Parts: sequence; structure tokens; C-alpha cells
Amino acid sequence: MAKLSVDGVDYEVADGRTILQALDDLGLLMNGVDVPHYCWHPKLSVDGSCRLCQVEVEGFPKLQIGCNTPIKDGMVVRTKSERVKKAREGVMELLLVNHPLDCPICDQAGECKLQDYAFEYGATHARTEEPRRALKKRVDLGPTITFDQERCILCRRCVRFCREVSETGELGVFNRGDHSVVETFPGTKVDNPYSMNIADICPVGALTTKDFRFKIRVWFLEEPPGICTGCANGCNVFLGVANNKVYRYVPRRNDAVNETWICDSGRMTYKQIGAADRLERAMLRSAQGTLEATAYGQAIDEAAARLRRLVQTKGPGVIAGVASAFASNEDLAIFRRFLAALGTDLAGVAIPTGEADDLLIKAEKAPNGEGARLLGFADAKGVADRIRGGRVEGLVVLGHDLLGPGYFGSEQELAKLDTVIVLDTHRSELERVSHVLLPVRHAAEKHATYTNHAGRVQRSWPVIEPSFEAYADGEVLSRLGAALGLAGFDGKFEVGEVSRGLGKLASAFRGIDLESVGEQGLPVAMKAG
Amino acid sequence: MGLKVPFVTSYLTEHFGDDDFTKLEGYRKRGGWEAARKALTTMTPDEVTETVKASGLQGRGGAGFPAGLKWSFMPKGGDKPRYIACNADESEPGSFKDRILLERGAHQMLEGILIGAWAMQAEKTFIYCRGEYAGPGASIRRALEECYAAGILGANCLGTGFCHDVVLMLGAGAYICGEETGLLESLEGKKGQPRKKPPFPAQHGAFGMPTTVNNVETFSHVRHILNHGPEWFKGFGTDKSPGTTIFGVSGHVARPGLFELPLGTRLDEIIFEHAGGVANGRKLKGVIPGGMSMPILPAGQIDVQMANEFLRERKTMLGTGGIIVMDETTCMVRASCVITYFFRDESCGQCTQCREGTGWLHKIITRIERGAGSMEDIDILADIAGKMEGATICAFADAAAWPVQGMLRHFREDFELHVKHGKCPFPESFEL
Amino acid sequence: MVISEETRAKIEAEIAKYPQRRGGLLPALHLVQKEKGWISLETAQELAGIFGIKPVDVMEVVSFYSMFYDRPQGRHHVHVCTNLPCSLRGSRDLLRGLEAHLGVEAGETTLDGRITLGHEECLGACGYSPMMRVDETYHEDLDLASAREIVDGLK
Repeated sequence: MAKLSVDGVDYEVADGRTILQALDDLGLLMNGVDVPHYCWHPKLSVDGSCRLCQVEVEGFPKLQIGCNTPIKDGMVVRTKSERVKKAREGVMELLLVNHPLDCPICDQAGECKLQDYAFEYGATHARTEEPRRALKKRVDLGPTITFDQERCILCRRCVRFCREVSETGELGVFNRGDHSVVETFPGTKVDNPYSMNIADICPVGALTTKDFRFKIRVWFLEEPPGICTGCANGCNVFLGVANNKVYRYVPRRNDAVNETWICDSGRMTYKQIGAADRLERAMLRSAQGTLEATAYGQAIDEAAARLRRLVQTKGPGVIAGVASAFASNEDLAIFRRFLAALGTDLAGVAIPTGEADDLLIKAEKAPNGEGARLLGFADAKGVADRIRGGRVEGLVVLGHDLLGPGYFGSEQELAKLDTVIVLDTHRSELERVSHVLLPVRHAAEKHATYTNHAGRVQRSWPVIEPSFEAYADGEVLSRLGAALGLAGFDGKFEVGEVSRGLGKLASAFRGIDLESVGEQGLPVAMKAG
Repeated sequence: MGLKVPFVTSYLTEHFGDDDFTKLEGYRKRGGWEAARKALTTMTPDEVTETVKASGLQGRGGAGFPAGLKWSFMPKGGDKPRYIACNADESEPGSFKDRILLERGAHQMLEGILIGAWAMQAEKTFIYCRGEYAGPGASIRRALEECYAAGILGANCLGTGFCHDVVLMLGAGAYICGEETGLLESLEGKKGQPRKKPPFPAQHGAFGMPTTVNNVETFSHVRHILNHGPEWFKGFGTDKSPGTTIFGVSGHVARPGLFELPLGTRLDEIIFEHAGGVANGRKLKGVIPGGMSMPILPAGQIDVQMANEFLRERKTMLGTGGIIVMDETTCMVRASCVITYFFRDESCGQCTQCREGTGWLHKIITRIERGAGSMEDIDILADIAGKMEGATICAFADAAAWPVQGMLRHFREDFELHVKHGKCPFPESFEL
Repeated sequence: MVISEETRAKIEAEIAKYPQRRGGLLPALHLVQKEKGWISLETAQELAGIFGIKPVDVMEVVSFYSMFYDRPQGRHHVHVCTNLPCSLRGSRDLLRGLEAHLGVEAGETTLDGRITLGHEECLGACGYSPMMRVDETYHEDLDLASAREIVDGLK
């Protein structure tokens, strides 16, 4: 450890860190101690070219860049002196000499580090009247990114990201001096599974995503925290919310899960929240065989009636439950109790799978496969076999992953079932064989915890209200259980209480609940060691 | 190319007029390679380093860092190979001394390199020669061929068992590759963008290995120091700046060319006694003393000894001793256009202050030159130059700022006249 | 294949002199330019393959250095130094004279493909100015007449 003094306050920091790293470790960087910077990024190599992070270090006659100055025990740093202020002002002015006045049409406005730092640390007016560089604008840099070469301040974060993180190396800096430009090899594009991260790390509007282009001004957005539900990694995100709608995900830092990154396809799963194919109406199969919209309560009652009839005529053993890895720990806790109270042990979880990589992308393409397993759900292959074998007559299924290639492949084999009750966020082919459809909430619409591939439990918050009637799976099942008169089901669903009870259902969840996991999550008991 | 040996010679260049001095046999006839033999057979590496240290030899590449001290920074032992990089990237405007040292004195330089290699226990030298120096490059190649054929370089140098290889690489037109770490980057096959320091080349140099970078002329002095001793060397020049250097005089003089003289020779003496004074009977206006990066001196301040300890008092420096003489017809604003264009073109582009500052300085001065500037612009120039100083990865930004500061310090009036008259008030000045 | 076997062999010989392959890149670019006159995108891709780097990395280097060209050049390069010491002794007038004589501006190539005229920064001949570099040869102490004679002699 080493002692570091910053603006008169003493800190203990780990050995071998630079000034910026130490401040970042302490959670103080731009959050109590201002050392503005462009080219430095906690997860990329040190560049040292923007020169904005200059600070006073006692014993050094010249100002030192915080990103490349290793801490020595007893180091004294000052960030608020006149010299530092003048240096920052100088860097800001010089960066603005060639920067185009695009703010009115630039997506970055409102979250632009050039705007922010110019306002905070720069001069009050521009002195340059020279013509600015005229470079490429609106460059189609690839499937996800639009590039404006004029706005670029040459921090080279994007170049380093492509070389060091995605390891695809599509970008370079051509020429020299003030003719320097970020470029690709002519005819090539930036096309990799993590490409949109370069728009996040670009401090200005040089790199922006095509998806978000001109959609909404960021100052209209609330940015509450949440997690991505695209795979079992559970990358942390901020959801961009306005008008009760989610406009985008941007990655939220979690050094234990996704550092500062998210994959492109995960980032795009925000679209699922407001998708046109959301299941918005409770539905019942009519006597004529058509699906009719109905009141939610009526659908629950009908579901209960159907299940009761099956239990009375064939016994509960003919009823199977298939869980979804999109359901939360709380939802699954209720589902497990529901099936047990119903009297069947035919239960499983259907998990969609796909390709994985060495970086963030996991093979399980849903957020809570591990949670399902810890809560006692085996893979639904067994249940699928029983269904094929004709042993099942009633099915309560969460989601529609049961139709995935590992299980049924299509809904046809389920057509023979007497009763299919579906709780889902989206519509699917499962409708064709369903008797009751009950809309449920997405992670972004409820309080929920999910267990990622590494056993880290993370949570979501309700950041929007669905414009239609929908409830958490757990709440629907609570009401269904009450309608069935199952023991222990009074129709009430208090998610906090359920969450606190997880540890009793599975010891891995001891000490874990909605509150304790907070914004960065917690590892399950056996992983915490 | 005609024979362009220095008009005034000393120990470095006294034989440059003899063609056979450029060949191994002729070089050996005049005592060549004896110092290297002495070093490799009778002295320990440390003894060699101490000798060079004791001589007080300053690097001759422009920074003036003591050579012996630099050599002593190289780590000893360990299993990492040690390298030398010889900086033959001479690109400082006004400087053309390394060129003659390469064209006519390649063996002399190589001997200094071998001595340095022994002192630092280096296994390889990379000579980084600017790409435009095809002639000097050919001269180095010829000398290397001779040395390898004669067993002076390669395995078993001079029969001593010491091994040292020398590789020649040509640059490709980038002034910044004359900066120590820019050179190393270019050597590694990348853009010549200088590195952040620390680490310094002695810790992390060429290809990540400990490396010492020294200038062509610096190496050229070494054999003489070994042959005659540090005290002999200190007999030339001043207390703080011993030895000779080769001053290059250009511009409005009657006899432009090279002059090997002791450090500390007075600038006015060099111009008027050696270089023939100002040509065409004109009056002197200003002199850049050390290559274009160094601040200009007005005619009234050239009574100064050409050594850093004295030039610093006049707010300028020795640099590479490239003396650029300007007479009364010269418009200093036009001169500044040429100067700032150069720095704008050659900036590597990494650091904000350098990349944008060099461009902005050039744009403003160009605008002032054509008569569209204001008094405020002149103040802004000083401010920009101030913001570029002491704040970047390498000293290029300083080198770009200093000339502007020098011009404003001594020739602000030229700028003000452009502003007042809306055009250049020097009808006889060179045109852009 | 754009780069000849002969040049490839020379490139490998250069690479062998350096502890890392990439050290041979600048020598390789010089060799290729000697053969082809400039570095095309195809050439850059082949070089990328030889060095195990990406084509964009090759183009970064090509675009950084003044002596590497990313477009076709004239058979001869005629570069007049226009830096300060040379300007003081009339090199800019000389360049203008050559522009008029050849009918091109600095940076352009004559229509017959013979000469690319340009200006260059300090070439280390400050005491012998005005001067110009014609390919690998320096011509010093010029006046417009002698400069014209030299360029007229270029094929």
C-alpha cells in the first residue's frame, strides 16, 4: 500500500497504480476529485496524448499526466491549482479550434465530454476565427456505427478498443499532425460483436450508433440501472427511459461482470421491451376454437378451472410445469411452490442456447438459467420426453423457449395436450396450442433478481409501466394458486418478502435478496467462499 | 555532388578532403580503428564509459545530454540484449553536419559505435538514417561492408571475441523520427510517434530491450577521446561544453557551409570571420543559432559564445549548431510562416497542444502575413505558444513554440507592421 | 500476387536483421516502392500478410511518412527544398520557375508521367542552396537555368 495525498486529503492506495487508477479505485475520479480526461479509460491501455489529465505533483517542476504517473508512497497531488486550471483551459481551447459546431445536430449533446469539460474547465469564448478542417461526415462505418471524422478529438479510444478488447483491429489513425484522421482500411468496416461500445467510449459525437441516431435528446432520458437479459452474463446496463419507453441500453460498469462493456446483440435486447409482439391481452381459447381477449381475472379463473378438472379426473401427476430462464428468482420460487402444492414433480426449465465467446457472450441466451437450477429446476428435456410419451395432459409454461430446438422445435406436438396455460412477455407459436394466455412483465417492469452464469445474483427495477395489464410471473402464479385453493397461496405477492425467502428454498441464496444485491450484485453463498 | 567538406576543420573533419580516408585502408593509415582496439583489448567496459564521462562530451543531436552519463544508464548483466541506436535522422532545418560526417567519415562514426558497444556491452547497433540521405546511406553501407570483410564488426570484432552487428535502416521522411523514442518506434516498423517517458530507452528501448540512442556526431568524437584522453578533449571548447562541433552556416552569408570549431566560439566570429559576413553588403537582421527550433537572436545579440551555458542567458540554445543568417530584407513574418508550416507538417499528431497548436499558429501567422491579422492575434500567438510548452509527450511542441516566442520577443514590430499596413512592408523579402 | 518473388526474398532478408519481423516494414515499403512506385491497397494487403499485421496497420505507416505514396507517381521525383535557409536564398522562386517550366504545380505529376514535382522540408543541404532532390540524387547550388537543364534530362 502507499500513501497518497490529493488536495490535502490523505488516502491509502494499492501499490503499482497510477494517479488516475488510484482515484478510480477509490471511486473518487470525477466523483469528488476532478481530473478530467479523454484518452484514458479504466479498461484500455494508457495513451497519454489528450494531455487533459495534467495535475501538479510535488517534486516535479512540470505538470504530470495523471494517467501515466505511478504513485509513490507519500506522493502529494494537487488538482485545483491555478497552473492546473490554466493547463486544462489550454487543452480545451486547442481541442475546440478544429471541432465543428455541430452541437445542434449531434447526438452526443447532453452527454458530450467536450461540452461538459469546455463548460467546466474551458474559456468562456472562442478566440479562433480560422477555418476548421473539413473532413468526412456521416460515414457508414459499419452495420452499427455512424462516424463523423470532423468531430473526432483523436483520443484514440476507439482504435485501442478494437485492438485490445474486440481484438478485431479495424481502426487506425492515418497521416500525422493536424491532418491525422481515424480511418479504416479503404473498403473495410467496423463489424464485430462489440462494435457499439466504441460509441459509448467516444467522448464526443464522432462515433454514434445508427440505432439511437436522432431518436431523442439525452437530457430527456432518465437512466436508471438494470441488467441485460440477452444471455446468462447479465451485463449491467443503464436503461434510457423517457415517456414510459426504453430508448436504449448503455453498459453500466461492473468489474465483476462486464467491466464497462456489453455485446451488440445484448444492447439491442432493449427493443424487446416495447416490441410490437408483446403479449398485451389475457386470452382464452373459446369453444369455437379461437383465442379471445378477456379480462385478466377471468383468464386466471379459467386456468384454475381447467387445472382443477385435470387434477380431479386424472390426478396432479399429469400436469407438468416448464419454467423459463427469463423468469426471475422470485418468480421461480413461487413456481416451485406452486407445482409442489399442486402435487406434481414434473418440472423443468427450458433454456435457449447459442454461441458463446471468450469475452462476454454466454451460451445460455437467457438471464436466469443458473437461478432456475439452484431453485431445483432440472433441464426441461425430461419433461419434453414425458410429453412426447403421452404422460402429460396439462402444461403450465412460462415463456416459449419450450419451442426451441433442444426441446420441441415446434408447437405441434403440444397440440394434443388437454390444457396449456402460458405466461409470457411476448407472443409466439405457442398460442396456436394454448388455452390460456397470461401477459407477464419484463425485467425492466418489475423488481426481480436473476442469477448469472457465474452465480452472481443481480437485480432489475421497474423503470417503466407496461401500457397494458401485466404482472410478474410470481404474482400471476400466486393468484392462480389462490384460485385453485392451494395450500399456502392467499393470492398476495409481496416480492420483497419472496426475495428474502429465497435463502430458505435454496441455501445458495442465503443472505441474498433484492436489497442486499444492490446495484452491483452479490455472488451466491457457495461461490462467495 | 561536389566535394563539400568544411571550410574550417579540426580533429573530426581534418581528413575529409582525402578520398582515401573514406576507405578502410586510408582510415587505418591515419590511425583509424586503433582507439577501438585499445578499448576492446586493454580497457573494461566501465573504464571506457568513465573515460567518456570524464571528457564531458555532450550529445550532439540537439539536446546536449552528457553522453557518458547516458551510457552509464544501461543496465548491466541480465539476459536481455542491449542495443544502440545511432540517430542519423538529421532533419533540423539549418543543420547539415551529420551528413558530411556520414559521407566522408563513416568509419570514424562506426569506430565510436564499436567503442560504445563495448562500453555498454551491446550486441547490436541500428543506424537509423533519414530516407532522403541516399548518398550518406550508401557511404555507410560501403563502410559496413569493409568492416565486416575485415572482421572489425560482426562475430569476433578485431579478433577480441566481442560480437557486435550493425544494421542500417533508412527512414522515410518524418522529422519526428529524430526524436529518440520516435526513432525507436520507426525502427520497430511503426509510425514514428514518440513514447511516453518513463520508461526511458535504457529500460525499454528498441524492441523492448535496453537501448542507448546517440547522434552521429556524438559517436564521431569518441575515438578521439579514447586516443588522446579526456583532458585533451577538454582542451577544446568551454568548461561546461568541451570539444568541437561542426557549425553549419546558411542563409544570407557570403560563404555558407560547414565550420568545425570549438564549442564556445562566438557567433559573430563564425558569421563574419568564417562565413564571409552578410552577403551583398547588407546589414544583418537576425540569426537563428542552433537549427530552426531555437529562438532567434537579433543582430545586436550575436556577440555570444556558442555553447548552451551562454546561449541560455539569451533565451536560446545551441541545438545542432545550425546557424541561419537573415539580412535586413527578410520579413520575419514570412520567415515565421515557413517555420510554422514546417512544425505543422511534421507534428506526429498525438498530443492535443502540439497537433492543434502547430496548426493554429501557422494559420494565424499566415493570416497576419497576408494582411488580415489584428493586434490581438499577435497576443494570441504568444498565448498559444505558452500553452504548448512543457506539457507534451516529447519536446516537439516546445521546439514548435520557441521560434514563435523568439520572433515575438525580438521582431514583434514586423508583425505589427503587417497588421498596420495590411500587407508585407518588406518589398525585397523572399516571397512565400 | 502483386509483390514479386524477388522483392519478397529481399524483404525476408531485411526482416532477418531485426529481432521482430515488424522491424522490416519500412525497408519492405522502400523495396516495394522501388519495384512499383507506390503502395496500392493490394500491395498493402500483401504486406500485411507478410508481416502478420492488418492492412489498416500498413496504411497507417504509409500515410505517416512523406516518402511513401498511396497513389501512382511520376517516373521521377523532383523535390525542391522550401524550408527557411533555402527560402532565404531563392528556392521558392526556383520552384515557381520549375512549375512554369513543367506546367504543373508542386504536388502534381506531368501529363507524360515523367516527373512528379514537389516541395520538401529541409534536406540537409542548407549551405548549398537553392537545391533539389531528384530521386536519390541531390542537386545543389542551383539557379533556374541549371535546374531546368537537370529536369529536361530526365526520362
